Amino acid sequence: METFDIVVIGAGPGGYPAAIRAAQLGASVAIVEREQVGGTCLNWGCIPTKALIVTADLLTHIRHAEALGITVSGAGVNYAAMVAHKNKAVQQLCSGVRQLLTANGVKQFSGTASFVDRNTLEIGAGNGATRIGAKKIIIATGSTSAMPGFLPKHPRVVESRAFLDLDKLPETMLVLGGGYIGCELASMAAQCGTKVTIVELLEDILLLLDPDVRHEVRSHMENKLGIRILTGKPLEKVAADDHGVRGQCGDETIEAGLLLVSVGRKPVTDGLKPDAAGVKTDEKGFIPVDDFGRTNVANIFAIGDVTGRTQLAHYATSQGVTVAETACDRKPRRNETLVPGVIFTTPEVALVGLTEEDAKRQNRAIVTGKFRFSGLGRAIAVAETVGFVKWIADAGTDQLLGAAAAGPHATELIAAATLAVRSELTVAELGRTIHAHPTFSEAWMEAAHAVHGESVHAAPKRKK
Amino acid sequence: MPNPITMPKFGQMTEESAIVEWRKQEGDRIAKGDILFTVETDKSVMDVEAFTEGTLLKIVVPPGVSVPVQTTVGFIGSPGEAIPAVSAPAPAAPKPVAAEAGRAVPSAPPAPLQRSIAPSLQSPLTPALQPAIAPARFRISPRARALAERCAVDPTQIKGSGPEGRIVEKDVQAYLEKQGYDKLRISPAAKDLARKEKVDVLSIRGSGDDGRITVADLQRALAEKPKPMNKMRQTIAQRLTQSFTTQPHFYVTVSVDMTDLIAYRNQLKAAGAPYTITDFIAQAVVQCLQEFPVVNSSTDGKSTRWHSHVNLGLAVSIEGGLVVPVIQHAEELTMLEICNLSKQLADKARAGKLTPDEMSGGTFTITNMGMLNVDSFHAILNTGEGAILAVASTVKQPVVRDDQVVIRSMMNLTLSVDHRLIDGALGAQFVNAVKAKLEDIELWKRLTS
Repeated sequence: METFDIVVIGAGPGGYPAAIRAAQLGASVAIVEREQVGGTCLNWGCIPTKALIVTADLLTHIRHAEALGITVSGAGVNYAAMVAHKNKAVQQLCSGVRQLLTANGVKQFSGTASFVDRNTLEIGAGNGATRIGAKKIIIATGSTSAMPGFLPKHPRVVESRAFLDLDKLPETMLVLGGGYIGCELASMAAQCGTKVTIVELLEDILLLLDPDVRHEVRSHMENKLGIRILTGKPLEKVAADDHGVRGQCGDETIEAGLLLVSVGRKPVTDGLKPDAAGVKTDEKGFIPVDDFGRTNVANIFAIGDVTGRTQLAHYATSQGVTVAETACDRKPRRNETLVPGVIFTTPEVALVGLTEEDAKRQNRAIVTGKFRFSGLGRAIAVAETVGFVKWIADAGTDQLLGAAAAGPHATELIAAATLAVRSELTVAELGRTIHAHPTFSEAWMEAAHAVHGESVHAAPKRKK
Repeated sequence: MPNPITMPKFGQMTEESAIVEWRKQEGDRIAKGDILFTVETDKSVMDVEAFTEGTLLKIVVPPGVSVPVQTTVGFIGSPGEAIPAVSAPAPAAPKPVAAEAGRAVPSAPPAPLQRSIAPSLQSPLTPALQPAIAPARFRISPRARALAERCAVDPTQIKGSGPEGRIVEKDVQAYLEKQGYDKLRISPAAKDLARKEKVDVLSIRGSGDDGRITVADLQRALAEKPKPMNKMRQTIAQRLTQSFTTQPHFYVTVSVDMTDLIAYRNQLKAAGAPYTITDFIAQAVVQCLQEFPVVNSSTDGKSTRWHSHVNLGLAVSIEGGLVVPVIQHAEELTMLEICNLSKQLADKARAGKLTPDEMSGGTFTITNMGMLNVDSFHAILNTGEGAILAVASTVKQPVVRDDQVVIRSMMNLTLSVDHRLIDGALGAQFVNAVKAKLEDIELWKRLTS
């Protein structure tokens, strides 16, 4: 039986960086993957959705180019070609990851890994099964879309993964769940001409955002993209046949060509047999870990979505690298805790650190400062003036604790805010930092000035 | 001539008090009856009202400083009036005692436990806590002080090269260089916080990347900083230390069979009577103290003093500490009266409304941890008393009766006595007398019907 220092189960955005980092540190490393390297993120998540969304955004820009003095006619969607572009991007990245693993001497196994004991894994089943030994094991098996049991099994009822493989968009689409996946794909489809209705059981969509931020997104999605958003009510009596999908929302019957289900994700542990190694799972099937990524078994770690913490690819990557170093007997480091979130709706949204709602729940005294893109030179020049950026800072110490952005390039802009919050900069320092003109990034400086009521480019607040 | 505001005397025993909070600022208009400040006495917090009207001209005693009663704490008068010279009070912060002299005696500064706490107790960065008698006068130039403050370092650690050891700017610079200050890694928000909270950044070990000091490290250091105990804890500390170090303790435990009494009490309760088990114990103790008057006496080590009344203290656990309200002349009260009074006093204690006189004059104390699931415990005497009874939980136990093992509800009573006053034999007789009463159901039928 071949034995490795480190075996990583799952080659997604958490697993493959963990394997490469461990190999860099001189460990003998194997990685086991039962589908495609790159995992959900690269094959059925972050990357393919962005390939489609960015193209849909481009179409919107082209259609509005007339106002900027560019004459365009005949712009339209060839969805099959959009999907082909997406597939090409995915394939290019996949083969890149495979090459990186090979170049770092990581041995790749294909199949489902199951625990035999805390140091042994079986890959595959039946006659073709092989066993490998491992001194340390990193579980990075990820998550998959949850499909509630009350929904019919039908080709017109899809979750995000199956949605991405459609070769054409339906004329009408019903989205169940107003989380970020549902909202992103709804924005994309709406821009390509699909009539979209979102049904969310909770009182609003994108509830992880502060009310002012989600209001900005929601009103744009409703008023500019023409998406219907129904909140606070369940979707019931769902039925599907060859002509379409029907569901009951309150008093209303909604019909559509397709139902996209995006109601959350569940851990992937089928076939893993964590019990065989004594690894504990919680009541939802997640594998709980401590701040260092350690499970209840000393030589077994877990990272990414399967741990039930924030389910984001970049968080998994960060955990993967940190945990690989710990597993290679480097000085144990806690996983990073500041995780930016980015949502590719139209307009884009991003956030990092504390939100105003968090502060309210924690009863923490904060100050905030906001600056709208409509007051920014660059934004007006390129006619992208929707949205704002916002800082959240400690009222006592002036420390930057969180930020949110809704509007053009919000997902890029959040990087600067993340660095500032992690570096524990103060509002005053951020405000004194020179930001290049004319850029969207200036909004951060202006919003920092706004925290102290010192905005140059916004009228003073009226005294109450 | 402005009217002085003085620290009132709240009870017979109160010798000094601290202002918790001034409710008025200097310059505020004051009407008669306005609340000027709140005061923390040994055991409670009280509002102090103005007796005259005018303008609050000056606050002499800041919050948190304990001063003797009748000390001038501020002045009320007309704006512009000259204020008589009053020296700022010597703070008595580390000194918890209601002093025998009735005068705040400044004590020597406690030795710093480690560097990180030094600024909070000694450094001129914190004038409020600066000891009145400093080892030597601390001399520093304004520029040097400003530099130290900007860098968030404790200047008392710096050796001065000026006349009489005065620290000048270049001393601070040399110190910073020697300490490797330029290599110190600290986040901007952490540094701001250190300046604001007067924490010496050189005393902090950073937990961030490459030892960078983060806000979390600062918060940890702040949380670890010694904080003065509140007045109640100081009183507890002082009284327990005095008792435990000057009164030689001796302990004796008996196991009481509570089975019948509990059954009888449940009968009474079903009929609407208010008695708790503690009330039976209190009543048994009051009776026994009359039978054994030595146990109800006290000593200073040279003379003994008998108390003709049983003033029964009942320890009550409250938020942040414990207080001992006293039932005066308990021997003159019926069981029902003791029951009602102890309930009232316990409620007042939990609400923080006990007056100092309701907490003094005790001759014997009962402390009950029955609800806290303990087998037995040894109580520390209340200073000046001769004995204290510790009541543990009642638990079902196998015991031997008539050579048979049976299950009975048993409760341990442990008597702590001042051995100077009470010898082992007497202590044993006393607890056994209490035990006998508790196990005598006929007695309770007489007392409660």
